Amino acid sequence: MRIGRRGFLQATAATAAAGAMLRPAPARASLAPEDGAGVLVDTTLCVGCRACEGACAEANHLPAPPSDDAVLEQRRDTSEDAFTVVNRTEKAPGVLRHAKKQCMHCLSPACASACPVRAMNKLPSGPVVYDPARCMGCRYCMLACPFEIPKYEYGSATPRVRKCSFCAERQAQGQPPACTEVCPSGALTFGKRAELLEIAKSRIYTNPDRYIHHVYGEAEAGGTSWLYLSDVDLGLLAMKGDVPGKAFPELVAGALAAPPFVMTLWPPLLMGLYAISRRREEGEGGPDRAASEGEDAHG
Amino acid sequence: MADTLVPTAPSFLREKVLLGMSPREYVRSVVTPFNVAAALILAVGLPVLFLRFTKGLGAVTNLSQSAPWGLWIGFDMMTGIVLAAGGFTIGATVQIFGLERYHAIERPAILTAFLGYVMAVCGLLADLGRPWNIVQAIFHYGTASVLFEVAWCVMCYSAVLFFEFTIPFLEWLGYRRMVRPLRKALIALTVLSVIFSTMHQSALGSLFLIMPTKLHPLWYSPYIFVLFFVSAVIAGICMVIVESTVSHKVFASQLHGQPVDVEALTLGLGKAGALVTFAYFFLKLQGVVDGHAWHHLATGWGAWFGVEVVGFVLVPSLLFAWGARNRSVRAVRVAALLGILGIVLNRLNVSVVALNWQAPHRYVPSWMEVMVSVTLVTIGVLAFRWIVNRMPILRQAPAQDGAEGSRP
Amino acid sequence: MTYDLLSVYPAKLLEYGLAIGYLLLFIPFWRYLEGGRPAPARAPRRAAAAVGQAGHRGWFRLPAGLHVHPGHTWARLDGDGLVTVGLDDFASKLLGPLAVKVPAVGVPVAQGEAALEASDGRRSVRLAAPVEGTVVEVNDGAGAAHADPYGAGWLFRVRAPRLGSNLRQLLSGSAALRLLEDASEELARRMNPELGVVLQDGGAPVSGIARTLAGDGWDTLARGFFLT
Repeated sequence: MRIGRRGFLQATAATAAAGAMLRPAPARASLAPEDGAGVLVDTTLCVGCRACEGACAEANHLPAPPSDDAVLEQRRDTSEDAFTVVNRTEKAPGVLRHAKKQCMHCLSPACASACPVRAMNKLPSGPVVYDPARCMGCRYCMLACPFEIPKYEYGSATPRVRKCSFCAERQAQGQPPACTEVCPSGALTFGKRAELLEIAKSRIYTNPDRYIHHVYGEAEAGGTSWLYLSDVDLGLLAMKGDVPGKAFPELVAGALAAPPFVMTLWPPLLMGLYAISRRREEGEGGPDRAASEGEDAHG
Repeated sequence: MADTLVPTAPSFLREKVLLGMSPREYVRSVVTPFNVAAALILAVGLPVLFLRFTKGLGAVTNLSQSAPWGLWIGFDMMTGIVLAAGGFTIGATVQIFGLERYHAIERPAILTAFLGYVMAVCGLLADLGRPWNIVQAIFHYGTASVLFEVAWCVMCYSAVLFFEFTIPFLEWLGYRRMVRPLRKALIALTVLSVIFSTMHQSALGSLFLIMPTKLHPLWYSPYIFVLFFVSAVIAGICMVIVESTVSHKVFASQLHGQPVDVEALTLGLGKAGALVTFAYFFLKLQGVVDGHAWHHLATGWGAWFGVEVVGFVLVPSLLFAWGARNRSVRAVRVAALLGILGIVLNRLNVSVVALNWQAPHRYVPSWMEVMVSVTLVTIGVLAFRWIVNRMPILRQAPAQDGAEGSRP
Repeated sequence: MTYDLLSVYPAKLLEYGLAIGYLLLFIPFWRYLEGGRPAPARAPRRAAAAVGQAGHRGWFRLPAGLHVHPGHTWARLDGDGLVTVGLDDFASKLLGPLAVKVPAVGVPVAQGEAALEASDGRRSVRLAAPVEGTVVEVNDGAGAAHADPYGAGWLFRVRAPRLGSNLRQLLSGSAALRLLEDASEELARRMNPELGVVLQDGGAPVSGIARTLAGDGWDTLARGFFLT
C-alpha cells in the first residue's frame, strides 16, 4: 500500500480532526457551584448525646445504633449499617470532646469523579448521592475517597456501597438533614456552605482562644460541604489529618487529557514508520519494482 | 496408523475438533498427567467461583473496608493485562516496523494476548460486586474517571484482538475467502491495537493517581502512566520470548520443516529487551526523584523497592545484554523470565502491597482467591493448547505459505 | 500541601544528574550490546546445502543449492535479482509428462499463489510460485520438465525484488530434504490401497501417479501437496 506524501498529509489531517471531535469534556476542578448546602460542626458544642446517630438510622432505615454510650470509649468508623458515628476524646481531665464522622460531601468529590458509570454523583445542591442501579461494584470510589468513608456490603450477593447521602431526598423537599434537625446543643448548623464558612471564620475571629485557627474542610480535598471547628487535633477524633488541599479530580485531569492526543498522534507516527520501513525494503528491489507494485498476483 | 485401510467419512467434528481421532481414541489421549492436574484445579476452583457468586465476595475473599482491591484486581486484571502486551508489541514489530522475520511468532503472541484479555475480563467479572452492571459503562459516561477510559479501551482492544484472532479461526474452518479482507485490514487493526494498548496500559497506572495518600511514595508518581506503558512493552517482549520457547518445545511436531529460527528471533528480542529494561530502570529512579521521595529508600519499603528495581529490572537488563552480545539464548530466556517476574511484582506492589501501606491491617489473599486466579490461568493455558493444536497458529494453513510473507 | 519552591532545586539537581548519568551510561551499554561476534548468518544450513551431494530421501531427489517452496516448486538464485523456477522431483514424478502451462513474460507472480497449471486436458491442478516477482523469461523446452526437472526442465525466470523476505519462507538443505521425505511418506499413506499398482513395478512409484487417481483425488493433491 503506497501512501505517498499527499496521502500522508491527508491521513494526518483526518486523524487530527477525528481526535479533536473525540475529545471528551475536560475535567474541571469543581463539579458544583459554591452555593450548595453545607453543615458547620462545632465540636466544642457537641455533648456526645448521639441523637444524630439515632436520627440518621431512622431516616435511612438502618439498624438502631448501640444504646450504651460506652461505645464512645472505642474508636468507631462508619460501616455498611451506620452512616455516621460519634467519637470521643479527652482534651483534659474531665473535659471531653466529640466529633461526628460521616461523608464530607466534597465540592469536587474524588468518589464521583472516580465512578466509571456515575453511580456516585454530585448534585448541584450539594449532596453526593449513590445509585445502586448503576453501580457495578468496582469499589474504586472506596479507594479514591481520602476520608475512607464509603463502606461495602461484602456479605451480600448484591452488594451496595454505603455512606451518608446528606438526606438528599429530605433536602429536595425543603427539610434539613435528620441529624442536624435533632441536634440539641447547636453543634450542627445546616445552611449554605459559603455562608457557613463565613460563620466559622467569624467564630474563630471573635473567639481566637476558643478554637484552633483552622476550618477543617475549607481546603481539604479542594473543599468539602461539611466544615469542622475544633479546639483539639481532629486526628484524635478519628478524622483524617493527611488530606491534601488539592481537588482530587485535578490529579487525574492531565492523564485523562492524553487519550485524544494519542489517538491523534499515533496514526501518523505509526503509518510514517510503516511507510519508511516499506520504502526501505522496496529500495532493495530496484527501479522496476514500480511496475509490479499493486495487486497481489492471483492464479 | 494405517487408518486409510478403514476409511471413515471425515466429519467436521472428527477432523477439526477431535484431531482426526475417533471419540474413544480422543478421550483416551486426553488422560495425561498435565490434564489430570488441570482437572483437579478446575474441580476446586469452579465451585469456589460458584460460591462467590451465590454468597458474595465476603464469603470467599479477604477484602475489607480498608482493602477493597485484592488479588483478583492485582493479579488477574492488572498482571493479566500487562502480560498480554505481547500482542501489540510483536504486531507492531511485524506490521509497522516491517521486521518480517518475527512473523512466525506474531500469531501465537496475538493468541496469547486474546486469551489473556478474556481471562482478565473473567477475573474482573468475578471481582465486581455487581457484574451484571458492567454494561452500564456503555450508557453512562463517567468520563472524569480513569476507570472509564480503562473499561472502554479494554473493550475496544478486545474487539481488535478478536478480529485479529478470526483470521486463523476462519482459516481453520476453511473460509479462506473471508480472510482476505481481514488480512488487508491487518495494518489498520495493528495501528488501532497500538493506540488502544498505549492508552489502557498507561491508564491502568493512572488509576492510582487519585490515591496519593494511599500508594507508597516510592511507587506513586504523577508519571506512573509512563512507567506502566514502558513496563507493558517490556512485558510484551519477555512474554513472547518465554511463550515462543515453550510453544516450540511443546508443539514441536507442528513446526517440522518450517524455517523458523527461534533462537535468532530470541536473541533479537533480547537486544530490544536489554535496551528497554535499561531505560526503565532509570525511569523508575526518575519517578522517585521527581516525587521527592528518595529519603524513603533508606526504609524497609526502600529495600523492597530495591528488590523490585535492581533484582528484577536491572539484573534482567544486564543479563539480556550479556546474552544478546554473547549469543546465549539461554541467558536471554532466563532474563525474560526474570523480567516477567519483575513486571508481575511491580503490578502486585502497586495494586496490593504498597497500596494502603499505612493501613493498620495488611491484606493477605485467602486461599480461595488464590485458587480462583490459578483456575483462570489454567483455563487460559488449556484454551491456548486446544487452539494451537487445531488452528493455524504455529504452522501455516494450506495455501497461505509465502502469502503471509507479503504485506498488502 | 502547598507548593514548596525551595525543595524543588535539589530535586531538579538529582533529576538532571540522573538523566545525564543515564545518557553517559547508555553509550557504553549500546556498544556492549552491539558488540560480540556477528550471527553465523545461517552458515550451518547453507553449509549443508553446499557440502552435501544431491540428497536422496525416500523416493525423490533434490540437488544442493536450491530453495524449495513447501508447494513443491524450487527457486535457484542466478544473481542480479533473477531467479529460475521449476518443479521439484516429487511434483514432476507425481504429474508425469503432463503439459505444464507457465505464465507469460511480464506477468507478475506472488509467492505462495498459483502460477503454474498442469493439466491432462480434462482435469488440472495448479502449483504455487516459490518467489514473488515478474516473469522475464520462459523456457521453450519445458517439455523436459518431466525428465530433468532441475536442469533443462526449468520452467521460467523471474526478477524478484523482495528476495530477502521471500527466501525466509523457503527451505533448503536438510529442511528441504525433510520436506520431500515427508511428502513421500504422506503419498505412501494415501496410496496404500493402490500400492499394488506400484509394487508390481518394483517398489518406486512410477511417474504419472496422478493420472491414476480419481477425479476428486486431484483436489486432494492440490490442497495437500501443492498448497493451492
